[in-house]
Amino acid sequence: MVASFAPIFLLFVLAAAVAAGMFGAGHFLGEKLPSPEKDMPFECGNESSGAGHAKLSVKFYLTAILFVVFDIEAVFIYPWAVTFKELGWTGFLTMLSFLVVLVVGLAYCWKKGALEWET
Amino acid sequence: MGTILALAPLLLLALGGCGLMLTEAYASFTKAREEGASAQLALPSAVTMLAAAVMALGLWLKDPATIDGAKALEPWLVVDRFTVFFTMVTCLGGALATLLAGGYLPEHNLDRGEFYPLIIFSTLGCVVLAAAGDLLTLFLGLETMSLGVYALTGFRRSSRSVEAAMKYFLLGSFAAALLLYGGALLYGATGHTDLVGIGQALTKGGRLPYPALVFAFALILVGIGFKVSAVPFHMWAPDAYEGAPTPVMAYMSVAVKSAGFAMALRVLVTTFGDPKFGSWATGWPPILALLAVLTMVIANLVAGRQESVKRMLAYSSIAHAGYVLVGVVSVMKVGSEAQASVLFYLLAYTVSTIGALGALVWMGSRGKEATSYEDLAGVGRRHPAAAFAMSFFLLSLAGVPPLGGFFGKLYVFRAAVGAGFYWLAVIGLLSSVIGAYYYLRVMVYMYMRESAPGAPEAEPMRSGMVVSALVISGIVVLWLGLMPGASLEMAIAAAVK
Repeated sequence: MVASFAPIFLLFVLAAAVAAGMFGAGHFLGEKLPSPEKDMPFECGNESSGAGHAKLSVKFYLTAILFVVFDIEAVFIYPWAVTFKELGWTGFLTMLSFLVVLVVGLAYCWKKGALEWET
Repeated sequence: MGTILALAPLLLLALGGCGLMLTEAYASFTKAREEGASAQLALPSAVTMLAAAVMALGLWLKDPATIDGAKALEPWLVVDRFTVFFTMVTCLGGALATLLAGGYLPEHNLDRGEFYPLIIFSTLGCVVLAAAGDLLTLFLGLETMSLGVYALTGFRRSSRSVEAAMKYFLLGSFAAALLLYGGALLYGATGHTDLVGIGQALTKGGRLPYPALVFAFALILVGIGFKVSAVPFHMWAPDAYEGAPTPVMAYMSVAVKSAGFAMALRVLVTTFGDPKFGSWATGWPPILALLAVLTMVIANLVAGRQESVKRMLAYSSIAHAGYVLVGVVSVMKVGSEAQASVLFYLLAYTVSTIGALGALVWMGSRGKEATSYEDLAGVGRRHPAAAFAMSFFLLSLAGVPPLGGFFGKLYVFRAAVGAGFYWLAVIGLLSSVIGAYYYLRVMVYMYMRESAPGAPEAEPMRSGMVVSALVISGIVVLWLGLMPGASLEMAIAAAVK
């Protein structure tokens, strides 16, 4: 089993060696002429506009995490809808209880103002 | 119908948690932020958890083995007497910690209602963890339990508390990842995710070579060791415990630790119970014995050097994990009696710790908290009731008869002797003697010292809920101490087969 993967390992090693060799050659052999413009951080060619560690509002985080929750919900609902008839009442009740839990969470977020963007 | 009956405590916790969450968001009293708003939620949540414990007691009396629908839940959730016992212990611990919070939070201006749904959902996770018979539900329970506690640890929003929460969260997720990795290796080796199936496949040999299985076991052991805070996986515990609000510390050191031991027992007995893994010569007992010795000796030595009573109790909680590990080591040789000693110890430890921390909460008020030994100087004269409660529960933790903690230690060490590990019992006894030193030191400060002139004095608070939590814990501690036989028989019946 190990032998059959040997070519892939060989490929990995070769790829790593080629990449390291090229970067290494550039780093050690290339000529360096530093200038203030070159030492600046690269931001799509524009003048850089302040430090990279900006504080983000927690609102982005809240929205993202709520999005993930309802995204996962959709992922669960699709296969359930496809096999709706086979699953019968058990499937219906199971999905219903899952949705109720999510709705409780949504109601909570709503009331707590997690969905308000401008406050 | 039988399925719902078997799940009743879990369902009650889930519904109660959701209900309290909505109440907290929609009820007018929490919005008005009037004084004592969170106290109004404390009682319902404590009642919810006590009701779940009572339901578990009902299940115990009916015997879960006779409930038909319970089998339908296997292997994901195993509702047996073991699960039911731990449901009672963790729900009792959660309810008592909530009662402490009902007094503590308003007093220290932390009056936010989110506390109560979080602690209920976390308890739900504890119960799932104790019931888990499959690696997937096990991980689900572990994360449900931990997420709530991470948030509760940082409840105070002071830099100390946030540091504690971050530390706990990072190390906790790391340990969970190791556990998950171990589980993935086991699945790869056996093709099963249920604990019984893995155990049977391992007996036959498994598909991976033996070193890989050992590696998988080591990863799982690290995850368990972290959750029960055994030395050398305890580094997070003192900081997390000290930074957390005292009721949360009580909850962490009681319910979370009990659920961790429930997971440990079930995994070790059902999955790694085969002689190949479970015997002294070739299996895990020597590793756990080493952990037990390290935990008992180091935690007790370090606890004696602390200047803060809260930090001392944090180390004492680590030391108690060591005593419990002594019982776990003996499980494969003595069987259900060693398991019973672990369960009994955890019950006695739960009520004693809640009591000691509750007394500490009771002694302090806003801006005049009792944290260091100096704060406690003279409390015996100024507030005899709180000092008495503190001494009572500390004596139980130290293992003085006729209190519950004494019989916990007795049974655990008896199990070690029965398994032939005399040296382990001797080390345990010696380290509990060291432990008695720092428990007694608290009493010396309370009764024999007077606070220095001008030094800050702890001033007791007034809270019916804290007092009732102390009374309930006290009754259970006394009951366990005066009539240990009944609960020991319960614990023997609860052992994992």
